[in-house]
Amino acid sequence: MNVNRLSGVLRGLKFAPVAGLVALSGCAKNAPQDTWAPAGPNAQTIDDLQKPVFAVAGIVGLIVITAVAYALFKFRDHGQPIPEQTHGKPVLEITLTIIPALILTVIGVFTFRTVFDLSKTSDTEMIINVTGQQWWWEYDYPVQNEFGIDKPIITSGQLVFPVGTKVMLRQTSRDVIHSYWIPKLNGKRDAVPGRVHLNRLEADEPGIYAGQCTEFCGLSHANMRMEAVALSREDFAKWVSQQLTAYEAPAEGTLAEEGETVFLNQCVRCHQVNGLQRPDGSPAIAAPDENVVSGAAPNLTKFMTRNTFAGAMFDLVNPQCRANVWGATKETFGEKYLVGVSAECLNQTDLRSWLRNAPQMKPMYANPALLTGTGGKYRGMPYLGLTENDIEKLVAYLLTLR
Amino acid sequence: MFTTSSKFYLALTVLTVVSFGVYMVFIGPSSIGATALVGLFAVGILFSWLSLHTRDADADDEFASGANADVPSRSIWPLVGAVGTVLALVGTVTSPLFFILGLVIVIAVFVEWGIQAWADRASSDPVYNASVRAKILHPIEFPVLAAVGLAVVILSFAEIMLAVERSAGAVLFIIVSSWVLAAGTVVALRPTLRRGVVTVIAVVGTVAMVAGGLLANSVGMRAELVEAAEEGHYLHRKCGPEKDKYGDKLALETVSARSAVIAIVEFVDGRLIASEQGVPMPREVITIQRSNPSSIIFRNRTDGEFRLVAVTGKTEVSEGVFKVDERCTQLIPSGAEQILTLTMLKPTMQTGDFFLKIAGVDGQQVELSVP
Repeated sequence: MNVNRLSGVLRGLKFAPVAGLVALSGCAKNAPQDTWAPAGPNAQTIDDLQKPVFAVAGIVGLIVITAVAYALFKFRDHGQPIPEQTHGKPVLEITLTIIPALILTVIGVFTFRTVFDLSKTSDTEMIINVTGQQWWWEYDYPVQNEFGIDKPIITSGQLVFPVGTKVMLRQTSRDVIHSYWIPKLNGKRDAVPGRVHLNRLEADEPGIYAGQCTEFCGLSHANMRMEAVALSREDFAKWVSQQLTAYEAPAEGTLAEEGETVFLNQCVRCHQVNGLQRPDGSPAIAAPDENVVSGAAPNLTKFMTRNTFAGAMFDLVNPQCRANVWGATKETFGEKYLVGVSAECLNQTDLRSWLRNAPQMKPMYANPALLTGTGGKYRGMPYLGLTENDIEKLVAYLLTLR
Repeated sequence: MFTTSSKFYLALTVLTVVSFGVYMVFIGPSSIGATALVGLFAVGILFSWLSLHTRDADADDEFASGANADVPSRSIWPLVGAVGTVLALVGTVTSPLFFILGLVIVIAVFVEWGIQAWADRASSDPVYNASVRAKILHPIEFPVLAAVGLAVVILSFAEIMLAVERSAGAVLFIIVSSWVLAAGTVVALRPTLRRGVVTVIAVVGTVAMVAGGLLANSVGMRAELVEAAEEGHYLHRKCGPEKDKYGDKLALETVSARSAVIAIVEFVDGRLIASEQGVPMPREVITIQRSNPSSIIFRNRTDGEFRLVAVTGKTEVSEGVFKVDERCTQLIPSGAEQILTLTMLKPTMQTGDFFLKIAGVDGQQVELSVP
């Protein structure tokens, strides 16, 4: 081997570590959005299709790459005369047309069958409305007496549903196109303003399943995450009961009560807490339609029963408590999840930072000086100029929302 | 010193100055008249200078100079250009429409006159030069002229149809379409028909149509349309069971069931039945997301005409006096369907009950819930 060829090989080898790292990333154990680990019938249906297709594509790819590499090596230029040029070889051309056509036909048949299987709606057992907006997801549960939901429930960040239940997500959007995808439970489906798209979810076992918006939707698209929480039927009934519990005002003379006042003065402009009343006894109704481009802000009723906030970008529980929930066995998961967020488990650092200056934590169009095109309405949560004292009170109040 | 045409243009210019003086003193200052006369003055000066400068394109002089190959052909475009310029000028103080029209004419003159001048120099053979011009300009001229001609005819016809009574309009439509069909048939069956005959047919038809259009425009729309427009025909808001005189006309339009709607509400044999998209069983409560336009399809499956009404709370119009907020479909006949789009800005907890009902039918409601 001459020196030039050796140096060429060595130059090529410098990419080996990168290629190795890419290959090794496939072995990651902590991969909550792994598309190869289905955890429900819908995702399993997709997996049953994608694995054989991937295998066939891999084999075809290997054959093509090997053939090209062989041709490149065998017929490389080493000064030989140019061989006789021929045109066309009908048998070979027809064969190379028929084989891919057959492969694609077979794949097509199974793909269509999978698409129709996934779009089945006739056996839906539960419905949840899913509404996307920059940059968080809202979940509302219409009245469904068979699940104990006798009044609508509204939440955000975490979609809670019962295990082994065919759940129909009715997806739409309030502003731009988003896309809902929990890889372990089903494929992705766009949420489009003015349209209602149907998407089915079903989980085999209790647990938390992570996902992410998969349609570029603006500045914080990468931070628009979601978590689907599957609970056993019994635990789901407890969760429903928890969500439907009436609002309890903080005890008199507590820091939380002062926090409620701060909330009424500041936060209720956009954030609804069902049951919260103004000092005159009238219901405190948020008006996000007057302040936010999408016309909505997360409803914070039972805020401390969720594990995330700010579009599931931040954990509401600290790392130890989070590990305790995420690492729970399927038998103990529900119990641990339903505890919610206690004062000890609260992720004080991120929550306080968020209240201090939200746009610094998550990129958002929330600078009043730049909002001329939206009539002064925000996309995301603005800087509120809260004092440390206000934040202290607010945190105390938010801890009571459970 | 003065050439023949320059005398004409100079006289025109002087006349314009005199007219301007008389106009301003005796008739009264008006920006439109003054602008028109100033424009005419500018054009007169321009053409006076051009005729003096070119010596009226005196053929003898040109032959003497040996530049006869460059003699331009006669052209109407300078005159059209003058009209366009004046129109654009008048438009600056009257209407943008005039200004745009003048601008379009001036641009057209630049293109036509420029290409004609260039084609005139292509060779010493005028026939060949004309063919060069035609080759470039005909692909532009014919479609543009056809489009303008069609637009004028269609507009004239529309004006006529808006002016005459509905029954007369139907008769007129039959006559005009029969006439067009007959003329087309004659032309198709007799390809050897003399060009003059075809031209007469087309010109008579077009002139009749345009004259009718102008007449109709001066008469105005028929009373029914004027009345409907005054009543806000396009902002139909009457939600009672009674038939609205204009708002419920043409209520037969259907919408596709495949539209992405949140719910379908059917009035079947006197019963109101709701189903939400993706849910197989009937629903007693329809959930609508707050601040999000949500569409509902209403289908009438009962004999008679009915409208769906969405009651969306109350608004205090004065102290202690409330008005029920309603949105509704048109009155639609049996078998028809319509879409109703609602945007609910406030949750149910604030504004009280939201529900759907059929106007004039008691006891049939579907609750709306806005969480």
